[in-house]
Amino acid sequence: MSSLFDILSVMILLSSFVLMANKRIKSYIKTFRIQSLLIAIVAGILGIQLIINEGRVDVLIVCIIIVLLKVIYIPNLLRRTYLGVEHRVEKDFIWNIPILVLICCGLVVFIYFSITAIEGISEDISTIQLVNSVSVVLIGLFFMISRKKAIGLIIGFLELENGIFVTAMFATDGMPFIVDLGIFIDMLTAVMIMGVMVFRISDKFDTINIDELNKLKG
Amino acid sequence: MSLLLLIIPLIAVLLFIFIKKDYLLHAVSISALGLQVLLAAFLTKDVVVFGKVESAFFYLDSLSIIILDIVLLISFFVAVYSIQYLKEDLRPGALDLKKVKLYYILMHLFIFTMVLALVVKNMGIMWIAIEATTLASVFLVGFDNDKFSLEAAWKYIIICSVGIAIAMLGIILLHLSSIGLLENSGFLDWVALMENAESLKSASVRLAFIFILVGFGTKAGLAPMHTWLPDAHSQAPSPISALLSGVLLNSAMYGIIRMTAIVNKSLGSSIYAGRLLMALGILSIVTAAFFILTQRDLKRLLAYSSIEHMGIVAVAIGFFTPLSIYGGLLHMINHSFTKSMLFLSSGTLIQKYGTKNIAKIKGVIRLLPFSGIAFLLGLFAIAGMPPFSIFASEFGILISVFEEGSYFIGGALAILFAIIFAGIGVAMFRIFYGKGEEKDIEPGENNIPGAVVIIILLVIIAITGLFMPETILDLVYDAQSVISGI
Repeated sequence: MSSLFDILSVMILLSSFVLMANKRIKSYIKTFRIQSLLIAIVAGILGIQLIINEGRVDVLIVCIIIVLLKVIYIPNLLRRTYLGVEHRVEKDFIWNIPILVLICCGLVVFIYFSITAIEGISEDISTIQLVNSVSVVLIGLFFMISRKKAIGLIIGFLELENGIFVTAMFATDGMPFIVDLGIFIDMLTAVMIMGVMVFRISDKFDTINIDELNKLKG
Repeated sequence: MSLLLLIIPLIAVLLFIFIKKDYLLHAVSISALGLQVLLAAFLTKDVVVFGKVESAFFYLDSLSIIILDIVLLISFFVAVYSIQYLKEDLRPGALDLKKVKLYYILMHLFIFTMVLALVVKNMGIMWIAIEATTLASVFLVGFDNDKFSLEAAWKYIIICSVGIAIAMLGIILLHLSSIGLLENSGFLDWVALMENAESLKSASVRLAFIFILVGFGTKAGLAPMHTWLPDAHSQAPSPISALLSGVLLNSAMYGIIRMTAIVNKSLGSSIYAGRLLMALGILSIVTAAFFILTQRDLKRLLAYSSIEHMGIVAVAIGFFTPLSIYGGLLHMINHSFTKSMLFLSSGTLIQKYGTKNIAKIKGVIRLLPFSGIAFLLGLFAIAGMPPFSIFASEFGILISVFEEGSYFIGGALAILFAIIFAGIGVAMFRIFYGKGEEKDIEPGENNIPGAVVIIILLVIIAITGLFMPETILDLVYDAQSVISGI
């Protein structure tokens, strides 16, 4: 089973590269949907495994929540937000894409060396899965730095959250159920609030380019 | 009893939704917080008598009860202050009931999340609650709904959400370090983790600590993750700034302290966590000193001073000797009371003058005989002048640093304190002296209950600087031994 998880973790990492290479906000949302679907598949397989072996149903429930929230609801919410401010949205990137992707490769290598340098970490968890999932977190962070539109930042935040979630899956078979549930509620509220704020920023600043938010200094 | 503490604010929120009269809104807000303070007093008594209050879901020991008491007391004062502040703030245009409602709903949700973070046993749920504090307070930061407050709110939610997400990675690694060691119900349970700290897997625990320090450190305002703090503190309505600075930072610091206790017990020494904490702490103090010296905005000055004081607490916890922890905890208490008093009185000042620019605020004493004087004395206190309580705890921390033989860090701290004192002093003289064009402003206090609250807080910080009640000292001492794990 672990080789299957290895493959899935690589695919999730790939999806975050694809996200980095996207130019338009519409395609961000699509790629995010695919990435969430991959994570739902991980949770699904893990959930079925746990039901058979230990009789735990919580991970399967988590899988269903992921599908409902991250694959269906949040991408639709972001699409609606995007359509609401569409007339102000153009292409959104600062450096050219190959350089961004190369930097991401560098990040993965960096994570690989940092994690393998920790003594005794490979006893607890498969190294390749940890490297891949932590890389997704860092690439999400880098995505937030590299984009200038408010919706791009939200997507970056969600990708980061995805990376953390998948780390939890691989490392510990999911967190305690109540914690997972709380995380979902928090994440959902956060995304909804950010969505509302995008509209407000668009109203007040006549743009959703966050470079314009530079009044407060010192 | 802890459950009741959580139900009251939720009931209050429900009531706010249905109430249609503004005086009822104020009444519900005050009575809800009054009840919570009473409950907290009972819980404190239990903790003093039994050492801890524990159930399947909740856990209160002397460490959490201290911070819980601070949260609720200051929230109560802030609620009293808010009544007149809101009326004053909404005077241009009719009193907008909807906005008052929103303010109270969010404020009580905010308090609810902070209380939740302090009373739960499970570190995962504590994380959820701390993330929820951001979500509950983001619209309070953006309450004015202009360009500035919107920018502050956007930075606040993005930076804090990312920071807290990184803390989640740390919690996952902490969970990983305990797998195979704890039973299902003991997962992420603070008590169980602390009991079994020695047998946690040290590689994961080390990694977890870095992530948790960065994550909760973002929320606690430690440099270099502090960038949201001056913006949010300066743009939020003043009572909310008082809550953010006096209370929220403590709740985040509480998470770091709990984690430090586990890591130090697990690794058997305080060097690893201590160095990281000290580095961030000193960096925070340096950053704050630099910005305080050049500050022109009254509330940003106070915000940077909060970064400084959180840095001092981080250094104190980093040293991890009984005396330094003791001093650090006292410092958290003193900073909360002093800083919330300052933010509340700055709110009165700003409403009076209609500006946050230090250069334009002059002749305070004539215009605002009570809050003005309290504000100036508060600035003295926050800069570390005796006889106020901040001086006592800062001095205690310095002594503990020198006692450890860290003359370099001790000396650096002393110099930084002096620089900050000078920076605040300069700002103070500008406000104190100078006759301005204040002729068109009516002298006199508008916010009478607010002024009373400010005076009470001033009396508290002045008295506790000279004489701290024995019970509180015992409680802090207990908390110190909880953290040391002895």
